[in-house]
Amino acid sequence: MTRKTRRLWIVIACVACVGSAAALTLRAFSSNIVFFMAPSQVKANPPSPDRTIRLGGMVMAGSLHRINENGTPVNAFEVTDGQAAVEVHYTGILPDLFREGQSVVALGTVQKDGGFTASEVLAKHDETYMPKEVADELKRTGKWDPRFGKAPDASSWDTMTAKKAGG
Amino acid sequence: MIASDYFNGEPFAGTRLPRRHSAEVRVPVRPTPNLLHRYANPGQFLRLARALLPWLSSGAILFLTIGVIWGLFIAPADWQQGDTVRIMYVHVPMAWLASSCYLGLAVCAVLSLVWRHPLADLAAIEIGPVGACAAALCLITGSLWGEPMWGTWWVWDARLTSMLVLFFLYLGHIALIRAFDEPARGQRAAAILALAGVIDLPIIKFSVQWWNTLHQPDSITLTGAPTMSMMMLWPLLICTIGFTLGVAAVIFTRLSAAIHESRARQMMARSRLDRRDSQVA
Amino acid sequence: MMHLPNHWQYIAVSYALTLGCSLVLGVGAALRLRKSKARLAAVEGHARRRERSAS
Repeated sequence: MTRKTRRLWIVIACVACVGSAAALTLRAFSSNIVFFMAPSQVKANPPSPDRTIRLGGMVMAGSLHRINENGTPVNAFEVTDGQAAVEVHYTGILPDLFREGQSVVALGTVQKDGGFTASEVLAKHDETYMPKEVADELKRTGKWDPRFGKAPDASSWDTMTAKKAGG
Repeated sequence: MIASDYFNGEPFAGTRLPRRHSAEVRVPVRPTPNLLHRYANPGQFLRLARALLPWLSSGAILFLTIGVIWGLFIAPADWQQGDTVRIMYVHVPMAWLASSCYLGLAVCAVLSLVWRHPLADLAAIEIGPVGACAAALCLITGSLWGEPMWGTWWVWDARLTSMLVLFFLYLGHIALIRAFDEPARGQRAAAILALAGVIDLPIIKFSVQWWNTLHQPDSITLTGAPTMSMMMLWPLLICTIGFTLGVAAVIFTRLSAAIHESRARQMMARSRLDRRDSQVA
Repeated sequence: MMHLPNHWQYIAVSYALTLGCSLVLGVGAALRLRKSKARLAAVEGHARRRERSAS
């Protein structure tokens, strides 16, 4: 074995060692890297009221109630992951992207009654990028309601909007 | 040492194979250069860079002009993000370049550690700051996108944190490679850091699939169809090509300059030695 | 549908920073290449002259 080949093998061995060490560490810590908890997890084992957690999920359609209390908006809505729903209360201005059917991440505490009091609400948009005209057309023709789920496949947008324009 | 005579003007004529008619041409002292050495030899590289640079830079300007105008004024607004989605056309290329420059650093590290390639060390010195710029711009434009859309400048989710780690890896590499009086030691240490840091690249890439993050999953994947309108995909692609060509041009230019500087330094050092010798004599 | 305000400041700053940095990097690299070429030529010329005067 030449010196070069030996050096190559040493480098490969080092990379493999560091790589597997990192992979194992990440596996072990993966529960701590989770940015937010889902409503079903919160319902299954509710964290104590003094612990601040992040709750992530979709805003349930028709669950949003906004009232204005002395100039500050008070919002109540339900966050769901499809299996369970948690009622969230938040006082303050919601982000622009907030809407029913949108994914959100709320920072706050779980109350004794199972409700969630948020101190901060972040909107989490999905990976679908759709021109406004396409979205309007899909909504107008009733092919997609953003409040009830993900947008259809990007490859189908052309045919879905073209058919309507033709007929 | 091999490394030193690489950078002098004439001696790498010795790496060329003997011509047919001149039997007395000296056969290289070194074992026959393999493909790697032939193409990564500084003289060959300078010639390659001189030939490629006009194409790279004019291509970059052309693609970036088209891409930026398309992205800013022609591409449609997103149905929920509105015009703010246009930040994507600079944010995504910066993320891509930050990762690929780091991969470049890692390749240089292997070439340097295993084959002791002098050009690889020079390349690592020059790629580092460019990649760090891309990583910083990716973080800043991401922040400028997150504030109006998500409602926050920064969150410690896996995607954002791993990208920040990449930026710090770049800073560490830049500092380490210049930290020692003897350049070879710094280059060795930086190469090891670059290799160890490669583990961050798959973490960045897959963080949005492995963990719950605020950052959305990738819209463009190798396996699935893009979840993005073609009207937005085209300008994104053109901007990415433009920035990539631009960064390639910048790195080629910096590396050429570094080779020139190194040769000039070496000639200066030699003439200083000669002068001392003549004074002694 | 709610109306989204146009966050043009964020877009402008993003583009200005990215394109500005690219421009600075590109122009800086080009100037550095020119300077290093000139310097190498000067050093080489100096060495040749010395060699000629020595012989």
